[in-house]
Amino acid sequence: MATKVKELGAGAAVRSNHPNPLISNDKLKQMYSTMLKCRLLEERARILKKQARFKGNYYAAVGQEATAVGAGIDLRPEDTVAPSHRDFILNFIKGTPLTAMFSQLYGRSTSPDKGRSAPAHGGYAPLNIITPGSTIAAQLNIGTGIAMANQMKKNDNVVVAFSGEGSTSLGFWHEALNFAGVRNLPIVYVCQNNLWAESVSVKLQTKVDDISLKAIGYGFPGITVDGNDVVAMYRVAQEAIARARTGGGPTLIEAKTYRWYGHSEIDPARYRSAEEVEEWKAKDPIAAMERYLTGKDLYSDAWKKEISEEFQKELDAAIDVAEKAPPPEPIDCLDYLYSFDIRNRELDRKNYSPKF
Amino acid sequence: MPVSYLDAINAALREEMQRDPNVFILGEDVGVMGGAFGVTKGLLEEFGADRVIDSPLAEGIIVSASIGAAMAGLRPVAEIQFVDFITPAMDAITQQAAKLRYRSAGTQTCPLTVRVCYGGGTGGGLYHSQTNTTWFAHEPGLVVVAPATASDAKGMLKASIRQDDPVIYFEHKKLYRLPAVKEELPEGDDHLADLFHCAIRRPGKDATIVTYGYMLQLALQAAEKVAEESGASVEVIDLRVLNPLDHDTILESVSRTGRLCIVQEDHRTLGIGSEIAATVAERAFDCLDAPIVRVAAPDVPAIPAAESLEQFYMPNVSKVVDALHRILQY
Repeated sequence: MATKVKELGAGAAVRSNHPNPLISNDKLKQMYSTMLKCRLLEERARILKKQARFKGNYYAAVGQEATAVGAGIDLRPEDTVAPSHRDFILNFIKGTPLTAMFSQLYGRSTSPDKGRSAPAHGGYAPLNIITPGSTIAAQLNIGTGIAMANQMKKNDNVVVAFSGEGSTSLGFWHEALNFAGVRNLPIVYVCQNNLWAESVSVKLQTKVDDISLKAIGYGFPGITVDGNDVVAMYRVAQEAIARARTGGGPTLIEAKTYRWYGHSEIDPARYRSAEEVEEWKAKDPIAAMERYLTGKDLYSDAWKKEISEEFQKELDAAIDVAEKAPPPEPIDCLDYLYSFDIRNRELDRKNYSPKF
Repeated sequence: MPVSYLDAINAALREEMQRDPNVFILGEDVGVMGGAFGVTKGLLEEFGADRVIDSPLAEGIIVSASIGAAMAGLRPVAEIQFVDFITPAMDAITQQAAKLRYRSAGTQTCPLTVRVCYGGGTGGGLYHSQTNTTWFAHEPGLVVVAPATASDAKGMLKASIRQDDPVIYFEHKKLYRLPAVKEELPEGDDHLADLFHCAIRRPGKDATIVTYGYMLQLALQAAEKVAEESGASVEVIDLRVLNPLDHDTILESVSRTGRLCIVQEDHRTLGIGSEIAATVAERAFDCLDAPIVRVAAPDVPAIPAAESLEQFYMPNVSKVVDALHRILQY
């Protein structure tokens, strides 16, 4: 049955000084620092985009970090992440090197996809992060197939598939969840409901208030969680992941959250009111976690400054590597189409006309 | 005993599943029922429900789940019961399967086989007769094959399953039990057919027919008839592979015969014949002694059900014979 979680998280337990029996202090601090780094990474990416240091577009998840971190932070390398276009930070959370990520944004020959996919559409095969396409919800369906393979191979790897609330309107989304339910697959669907699919309100996507309700129709648990509360998100996600690992089947998690900026860097997001944006910025998951950690004597501004300064140096170094890396050779356009080479086919076209 | 096209496909599936535990089948009605046409008959009993999977009625997830399973190292063989119903899987096939290797620079791949039943001439009407091979031949990243013989049906399916690329394998429903294509196939042999070249099914020197699938039968009959009527010798090329096209076998033939007739069951506009004609015009213009002709279905949405309409729609032997006479007499 679909239920809701509104408890024990960074938002609700601000003044609590009790130790959390389920989550170690180290883990709490790790979640905070990871969220902070994701924020710093994306704000840098946005600046680089605005400076036209790389081409294409960027789809920032600023404001949504708790969702990605809570769901992704404890995944194993063998676990698969099926990201959407707004989940570039899942690469960082899962451990993709920063140099690979920035090479991806810059479309360099050194990027994991050698300059093929759009910036932010990054995957990383060594850590089982699917390189996503842009067609919405497709990564859920592919992730569902990987979950089927894991089940058939009888390993305990899981798949966590991310998408936004807009994806739930697609037939694809239904096909994936229905299939996962029928076959009891080891997969967790994380729906990041940030209220807006580009310019379209969630009220025009679905009649239900909580997207987690839809899980009822597929015969597995659905749960709505405050997606800006990293502790709540972590607890819900870890329970779902553990269920998937042990043969308990799929879970749908709806994380209610908000993107601070437009759909992409060219979207001023005029369809939203300033009040709404400010209301959600006041629910900043990073600030909330600072309050939560402060209540546990686990936070100081000096610690934050230390993390930030250290990480900015790492970003500088990765950006420097990306900027100095060569672009792909033009001819590389012809590579990686098939398991066999097509260069000769394109370049060496034998002519049969004696006079031409 | 001669083996039918259908039994050849069944044997290929069985042999590949016996050989490689990673091979499995996913599709509608493939398990308990053994397929709408009986192609997967007996496989559930031999390999169990974990490897012969009756899927929900949803072509999108049949192909998408197969893509994911292939990424994870398995060798899925998805079945699309009728190509008329493949449209819900178009994103999966064209945006995901075809582009995955490219968009990940070869680090993520999906070696899956999608078996697709297609073709008219059985009175199936608008939504059980379509061909639609062109949609996939137009998509770089897919290997698209359409065997025309029982030997190829078996050997090309076995090779498709082992190919490290997404393969769309088109099987013509009219060939399934056609006596003319039954042939002796060595029992249990491990014959892998080539996936990249045309085959010259009948050598000739006066004109070239290029075709594939069930249309090969019409082409061979037409070539024979023309030989009897006029003594002209017509070469018949079985395309076998629709993507990537084997241009050189066609160009080499036309450079010898000087005349080209393309026979396709897909409708005319931007069909496979359009690409072949353009290629010959570009690269063998001086070799031509006559205009290129196409015998194709008309540009109507699909094959109507009434027999009279279907006969008008489908290419047949006399239409091919007429086309051959026109170019031979030019």
